[in-house]
Amino acid sequence: MTATHNSRIDVEKLQFRYPGTDEAVLDGADLAIEPGEFVAVIGGNGSGKTTLCKAFNGIIPHFYEGDMQGQVTVAGHDVSESSVSELSQHVGYVFQEFDNQLVSPTVFEEVAFAPMNYGHEDYRERVHRTLDLLDLDGLEDRFVWELSGGQKHLIALAAALSLDPDILVVDEPAAQLDPVNARETYDRLATLNEDHGKTVVTIEHQTEFIAEYCDSVVLVEDGVVSWKLPVETALNQLEDLRAQDVHPPQVTRIAERVLGDDGPLPVTLADGLAQFIDRSVDGGVRTDGAPETNPTGEPVISFDNVSHSYDTLRSGTKDVLDNLSVDLYPDERVVLVGSNGAGKSTLIQLVTGLETPDEGTVTVDGTDTTGVLPEQLAEEVVYVKQNPEEMFIDDSVRADVAHYLADRSYPNVEQRVDDVIEFLDLEDLQTRDGRLLSVGQQRRASLAIGLATNPSIVLLDEPTGSLDLASREEVGRTINRAGERVETVVIATHDLELAASWATRMVVLDGGEVIADGPPGDVFADLGVLEQANLRPPQVVRLGTELGLDPAPLTVEAFVNRFGTTGSSATETTKPIVGEQ
Amino acid sequence: MPALDKLRDATSVETIKADLLRTAYENEGSFLHRLDPRVLLLWYVVFLFVPWLFYDTAVLLGLLAFVSVLAVLSRVSLFLVGLMAFTVASTLASYAVVTVFTGDPVAAVRALVPFTLKLTIISVSSLAVFSSMGPKTLSQGLRSLGIPRQFTFLITYGYRMLPVLFEEYHDLVNSFRLRSTAPNSPGWFRWRHYAYLLKLSMRAFYPMIFNVAKRSRVTVEAMEARGFSHSLNDEASTKLRLAEMQLRPIDVGFFVGSLLVVAGLARFL
Repeated sequence: MTATHNSRIDVEKLQFRYPGTDEAVLDGADLAIEPGEFVAVIGGNGSGKTTLCKAFNGIIPHFYEGDMQGQVTVAGHDVSESSVSELSQHVGYVFQEFDNQLVSPTVFEEVAFAPMNYGHEDYRERVHRTLDLLDLDGLEDRFVWELSGGQKHLIALAAALSLDPDILVVDEPAAQLDPVNARETYDRLATLNEDHGKTVVTIEHQTEFIAEYCDSVVLVEDGVVSWKLPVETALNQLEDLRAQDVHPPQVTRIAERVLGDDGPLPVTLADGLAQFIDRSVDGGVRTDGAPETNPTGEPVISFDNVSHSYDTLRSGTKDVLDNLSVDLYPDERVVLVGSNGAGKSTLIQLVTGLETPDEGTVTVDGTDTTGVLPEQLAEEVVYVKQNPEEMFIDDSVRADVAHYLADRSYPNVEQRVDDVIEFLDLEDLQTRDGRLLSVGQQRRASLAIGLATNPSIVLLDEPTGSLDLASREEVGRTINRAGERVETVVIATHDLELAASWATRMVVLDGGEVIADGPPGDVFADLGVLEQANLRPPQVVRLGTELGLDPAPLTVEAFVNRFGTTGSSATETTKPIVGEQ
Repeated sequence: MPALDKLRDATSVETIKADLLRTAYENEGSFLHRLDPRVLLLWYVVFLFVPWLFYDTAVLLGLLAFVSVLAVLSRVSLFLVGLMAFTVASTLASYAVVTVFTGDPVAAVRALVPFTLKLTIISVSSLAVFSSMGPKTLSQGLRSLGIPRQFTFLITYGYRMLPVLFEEYHDLVNSFRLRSTAPNSPGWFRWRHYAYLLKLSMRAFYPMIFNVAKRSRVTVEAMEARGFSHSLNDEASTKLRLAEMQLRPIDVGFFVGSLLVVAGLARFL
C-alpha cells in the first residue's frame, strides 16, 4: 500500500449539472484521495457517485458539456483545463457496462488500442506486460466476444491499465460479475494496489467486498460527499448506509442483532468469527429456508441423457451439457446454480424449445420439445431473459405486456393487461419505453411480460443480476408473488443468497453435469461441492459453518434466531471448527 | 424430407452467423491475405475497370474464371456466394418475364449476358478482395491511402460489432417467436411458416437499432478515455499503425501477373 507515485485527487466544492436538467447532480462535493489508497465510493442510485468519478478523467466536464463549478485536480492537472486524453494517461477507467467498452476484435488489439493511440513504440511489450500482470497471457489472439463475462471484465481492466496509469477507477465490478469473478477482479485490484502502488477507486454496492479489500469508504449522498472514513468505522455507520440502500455485510447485520450497539461491530468474516466464537449457539433445528416438498406425480420438465454443444471460431466445439438427466416436478421452486459456462442458460433454452438437444430428449408437460415449435411450448412456458432489453420489442411497457395476448386474440386483453400491470405496480411506467427505465424497473417490466402469458412454468435467467440491493429486494418480492400464480419456477442464478432464502430445491451444475441436487440446506452443507462449482456460499453460511453450526443457517434471520433460542449455558455449544480465514 | 432438413440446417441463423464471421476474420491462411493491402486495393480498382474494356463473352468468361479462382483461394463465404448467384439469376429471370410482354425474351436475356457477366466479375473480385482482408488490414490499407482515421476505425469497429449484432438480433427474433402465434397449418413447403418467420425477422430490426444506439454512448466515452481523438492528429500513432505494411516482390508479382492474365485472355480468346 505504499504509493509509487504522487498522483493525488483533490475535489473542491464540485458542482455539476447535466445539460438540459435543472437539478445539480453534484452540489458542492469535497474529497481528497491520497496516492496509493484503495477507496470504495458508495451511495444510492442517482446520488452522483458515478458523475463524481467521471470527473477524475475529465469525461465530466469535457464529454458532457454541462455546467461545472468548483475545482478538480488530478495528478497536478486542473481537470477543466486538461483534455480527456491528457488525463487518461494518469487515470484508467473501467466502465460499468464493460462489454460496450471493448472496441477491438481481438484481445491483443484491444489492449494495444490506447498505447497505439498515444504512439508508444513499445506497445507490444506494454500489452504483454499488462496481460502478464493480470495473469491473462495466452488470451492475446482470442476474440473478445468469445470470452466469458469475467474474462471480458479483466480485458477491460487490462485495456485501462495499458498506459500504466497511477489511478484506476472501476465502476461496480461486483454488480455485473458473478461472485467468483468479482472476487477475482478484486484480487487483481488488491495486487495492483499493494504491489504496484496504484490508487484504486471502486464504485461498489456490495459491502462484503468493501470490508475485505478497501482501506476507506466515501459516502456520496444527494450530490455531496457526506464522509470519508476508514473501512471499519464506515461500515459501522449502519443508519447512513441503510438510508442509501446499501446493506452492511451479513456478519455486521448479525452482530447488530446479537451483540447490540456496544462497541464496534465486526465487518469481515474473520472479525465476526473472533467475536462469535465465545457465544453459545443452538445446535438446533432448521427454522429457515423454504419448506421442503416431496415431489409428487409426473415430472413437468424432464431431461433424459441430454447433450448439447456449440461451435466457436477459434476455440473449436464446446460441450455445454454432457449426458445430463434431471426431472423437475410441479410446485417446486428450483434454482440452477453453477459458474459461468456451466450450462445453466443452455438448460433453460432447451426447455423453451429455442434450442434442441444434440442427443437425448427434453420433455415439457409430456411433450418432446424436438417435435414442436417454440411458439407452441410458449403456451405453458415463459422465459424471462437475463438482459431485459431483449424482451422489449414494442415501444411501451403496456404494449409489450399485451403483445402475446393480442397476438393470440385472447378475449378481454385490456382487462388482463391491467391486471398484470396492477399486480406488479407498473401503472406509472406502462406508457414508457422499456429500454429507458432503470435496471430494476426493467426487470419488473420483464417479469410482467412473462406473467401476462399466464404460464404454468416460469424460467428466470439471472433475475437479480446487476441490481443494487434495493432493486434486488423488490425483484425478490416479485418472484415470490409470481410463484403464487404459477406451478413451477426455475431460476438460473449466481446469487446464492437468493437460492438460500427462496428455493426448495437446488441443482448445482458443473462442466455440463449435475454435481449436487437437493434442498438448499443439504447442498450448502457440502462446501466441497460448491467449491468445485466455483461458488461461494453466502457469508452467513460460511460464518455458521466456521462456528460449527450444523446445519448452518442460511439467512441472517435464522442465524439470529439460533442465538435467540439458547440460554447462556456453554454446554450446548458445539465445538467450533475454525479455519484459516 | 432429408433434403429440406439439410437446406434448413445450412440456412439456420447459427450456420450463417458462423460462416460470415469466418469470412470476416478467419482469412489468415488465404493467398490474398499475404499481399499488401495497398496493392490489393489498387488491384481491385483496376479490376473495376477491366471488364468494361471487353465485349466478347469468351474473354469475359475467362476473366470470371480467373477471379473465381482467386475467390476460392480466399475462401469466400458460401452464404455470400449463394446470395450473389441468387441475385444474378433472379435479375436475369425478371428481365425475361418482363420481356415476354414486349418481345423476344430469349434475345433480351442473351443481350444482357455480357453486361451481367461484367457485374458478376466485379462482384466476385469484391468478394475475393474483401474476404481476404481482415478488418485490420483493410483499415490499414485505406489509412495509408489517406482515408481519415475516423472512417477506417469505423470499419474495424463495425467488424467488431458484427457478432454482437448477430447475437442481439437472434435473441430479439427469439423474443418475438416466444410471444407470437405460428400459423396453424404451414402450407405447401411450409411457406406460411417461412413467411411468418420472415415477417418477424423484419420486425426485430427496429428494437435492435434502439438497443445498439443506447449502448454506443459508453463506447464513445471509453474510446475517448483511451486516447482515440488524440490519435487523430498524432503522427507517431499513425506511423505505428502503418509500420507493418511493406511492398514485397510477391505483391508486385501478383499485380503484374494479373495484368498478364488479362492481356493473355484478350490476345488468345
